[in-house]
Amino acid sequence: MADSLLETKLFVPKARRGLMRRPRLVEALQRGVEGRLTLVSASAGSGKTTLLADWIAFSQEHPPVWLALDSNDNQSGTFWSYVIAALQTLIPGLAETARARLAGSQSQTEQNLTELLNELSALPQEVVLILEDYHMIDSPQIHSEVSFFVEHLPENVHLVIATRADPALSLARLRARGDLVEIRASDLSFNRDETNTYLNGVMGLTLTDEQVGVLEERTEGWIAALQLAALSMQGRDDVAGFIGNFAGSDRYIVDYLVEEVLGLQQPDMRDVLLQTSILERLTGPLCEEVTGQEDGTATLEMLERANLFTVPLDDHRQWYRYHHLFADVLRARLLYEQPDHVMELHRRASNWLELNGYRAEAVQHALAGEEFERAADLVEMTLPQLRQNRQEATMRLWLDAIPDDLYENRPVLAIGYVASRLVNGESQNVETRLQQAERWLDGGPSQSRKGFVVRDETAFRQLPGAIAVYRTAMARARGDIEETIAQAHRALEVAGEDDHLERGGAAGFLALAHWSQGELEEAYRWWTEATESLERAGHTSDVLGTRIALADLLIEQGRLDDAMTTYQRGLDLVAAQGGGIRGAADMYVGLAAGYLKQDDIASAREHLKLAESLGEQAGLPQNAHRARVVKAHLLESEGDDQAAIAALDQAENLYVSDYFPDVRPISALRARAWIRQGHARRALDWARDRGLSAQDETTYLREFEHITLAMALLATGDDGARAEALQLLERLRLAAEAGGRAENLREILTLLDVADGGAREQQAPPIEQALPDPLTEREFEVLRLLNTDLAGPEIARSLYVSLNTLRTHTKSIYMKLGVNNRRAAITRAAEMGLITNRR
Amino acid sequence: MADRPAARYEIQIKGELDERWTTWFDGLDVTVAGDGTTVISGSVADQAALHGLLQKARDLGLPLISVRRIELRGDDITSNQPPSARGDTQ
Repeated sequence: MADSLLETKLFVPKARRGLMRRPRLVEALQRGVEGRLTLVSASAGSGKTTLLADWIAFSQEHPPVWLALDSNDNQSGTFWSYVIAALQTLIPGLAETARARLAGSQSQTEQNLTELLNELSALPQEVVLILEDYHMIDSPQIHSEVSFFVEHLPENVHLVIATRADPALSLARLRARGDLVEIRASDLSFNRDETNTYLNGVMGLTLTDEQVGVLEERTEGWIAALQLAALSMQGRDDVAGFIGNFAGSDRYIVDYLVEEVLGLQQPDMRDVLLQTSILERLTGPLCEEVTGQEDGTATLEMLERANLFTVPLDDHRQWYRYHHLFADVLRARLLYEQPDHVMELHRRASNWLELNGYRAEAVQHALAGEEFERAADLVEMTLPQLRQNRQEATMRLWLDAIPDDLYENRPVLAIGYVASRLVNGESQNVETRLQQAERWLDGGPSQSRKGFVVRDETAFRQLPGAIAVYRTAMARARGDIEETIAQAHRALEVAGEDDHLERGGAAGFLALAHWSQGELEEAYRWWTEATESLERAGHTSDVLGTRIALADLLIEQGRLDDAMTTYQRGLDLVAAQGGGIRGAADMYVGLAAGYLKQDDIASAREHLKLAESLGEQAGLPQNAHRARVVKAHLLESEGDDQAAIAALDQAENLYVSDYFPDVRPISALRARAWIRQGHARRALDWARDRGLSAQDETTYLREFEHITLAMALLATGDDGARAEALQLLERLRLAAEAGGRAENLREILTLLDVADGGAREQQAPPIEQALPDPLTEREFEVLRLLNTDLAGPEIARSLYVSLNTLRTHTKSIYMKLGVNNRRAAITRAAEMGLITNRR
Repeated sequence: MADRPAARYEIQIKGELDERWTTWFDGLDVTVAGDGTTVISGSVADQAALHGLLQKARDLGLPLISVRRIELRGDDITSNQPPSARGDTQ
């Protein structure tokens, strides 16, 4: 079904026989497609599609690409993936990577569009893309993307938009620059000559000039009306009488004329026309089912020959649709003339469509026929297909159309509802539906299904896991960490062994929850699990995303080498998959950041370049800002302070959390840059704007910012500020030590050194050291670092000493404490009140 | 379920539609105005519903002449709200 839907949307309409040639308009189109945008904007029945079909068949040199839009295409990803699919009919494989990304997750459209535009501009041929029924699009995001697209169209690409309403694109600007050719209602409507040619020439009537004039005036040249009028006149003798009555009536033209045309038909045919007007698409057997009459296929062919507004949808003359205007008027009549019968017609249609595998359309008619239970069944079975085709608008419509009480005992449907709401971040009714689904769980695994209705068995089996995952997401959105953790654990409990995606998701939620509370070890453990699950699920980009989180944690714990290894493993994974994975750039950027920490500027620069060479689309959402932060540091190392600040500004604008806690805010990085550049005051202003003060309670999430504040205070050189900073730093030190945050601790210790300056010599380690041979100040520093998870080499690096020197210190410490290993040293030192044992 | 009452709108289109078109226009009144135009009027739930109606007119090719919002007065006998809601003291 998915494929045939696509086929229909991409089908180029054929020119019809006996058509009016309209050289004036065809010329305008030719002119239009030398430029960027051609707009054909006029109401239904104006002849837009006919004109375009004519132009394509007879005049257009370059085979065009056609896309018929409908109300389901209002999602940016869906819209553009269809555009690319349409272009692929001309150039197979064009921008396929971009298309797959757009059709899949919520990727950044602009990058994908840029890729598409680049590929288009590299083509040797001219490309004409026609978007039909653009008025179906009402998403401001898509309008802005289409504007972008038009703005950046390469010379060889030309866009034609056919619509019933002027689109919300920057038309005025295009007009002013001469980049827009418009064909409007007044252009499309027949003038006197054309009316004459049409009525007397094409339709074979024998009207006088005056009669032609009357008709032209009455219809204002509106083609659909003239067509209907012609059909009305072809079948009758008293043409003059008809014209007289028609001209004298003020009645809505189409209604009047359709009535006339219907009046000319045999009763059976009349019924067929009215009754099949409820169908979006018609085919012989379906018409037979709905009307109860035979020879459906023959009837449709006859309708086409008689010019009764049927449009073929494929080359095999299997499927047709009515011209929208005609169908609308017929349907209005049907509603009025046979109101009770209408429901029945929908039901018949729904039945046939379901039996023949057209489930989505079966749902539409079931709902229209108010067969709600059946509709609910069908919707439940169609949800996976809708999700896959990104038909979210349809999903919403249908789920909303199902009466509330039916959700009571349909757990799978209820969860489908939840999913459709949460995807957009909406919460209306979600709690109710979750509870409705959970009612099923209350009875335990062995309860009978009595009273419950389930149509999608697979989804039903995954129900407990799905519920838990949704509850986790909702708890997280509310900021309820406890609940998030509880629900995520539940999700892990109930998820199957092989539900890797669910397990990965739940583990990720747990990791994030622990991370935001500063529980780094726990966070690390859950990120590791998430990585494993996601690898098993084959979601490489997500795996790379978790590697970024892992690396962040490792760096916080002072384990830089391990962080580098994590990124390297990510690159290995990318290489194993042949490259081209979103997230590859992030790995390079991560390595670059690591090299910066090691003061290896050259390697940092090299890796940043590698990341850039992969292009924007190789980056996950955070890469945009992370890369710029690295860039900022590089610029600073080259002495270009202003550019560094500018890069940080850019980074801030591009910041997205992607759910990560913002533990190293870019504004804090910028404040530090200011400090280094000698603008401590500015940094203090920043701190004030952020509501930071030296008297704050220290929290994990603001630790980095508080350290930054301390830096600013110290940099002022003011004694009072220094005293404040010292107090703050002491408190931060305790917290960082207790939390195992070695990286922050290192900074804190360094700052404390700086702050004390000479004064340290007197103050030193706790005055009362109950030791015969007290520890020196340096040894005390080492002792504090031994009280973390830092390995020897890392401690050495933190203190800017060699490993040998460190060993000398530790030997001395052990001796003084009367122990012979690290753990014992910590325990002993804690007993003596020298440090706080955080284990 | 809105807290504020729906507003009343009058949409004037060119061409005469008879009352058979009521169902098509969500049950609103369809009245010929005698000057070759028709007024579609009644209670419209919200802006989205209003735009839906305008689109229906558009899709039928009915030229729009005007759209008016009618403020309900307490003694407006054409109001479709029950007396108690209108604040009558009877």
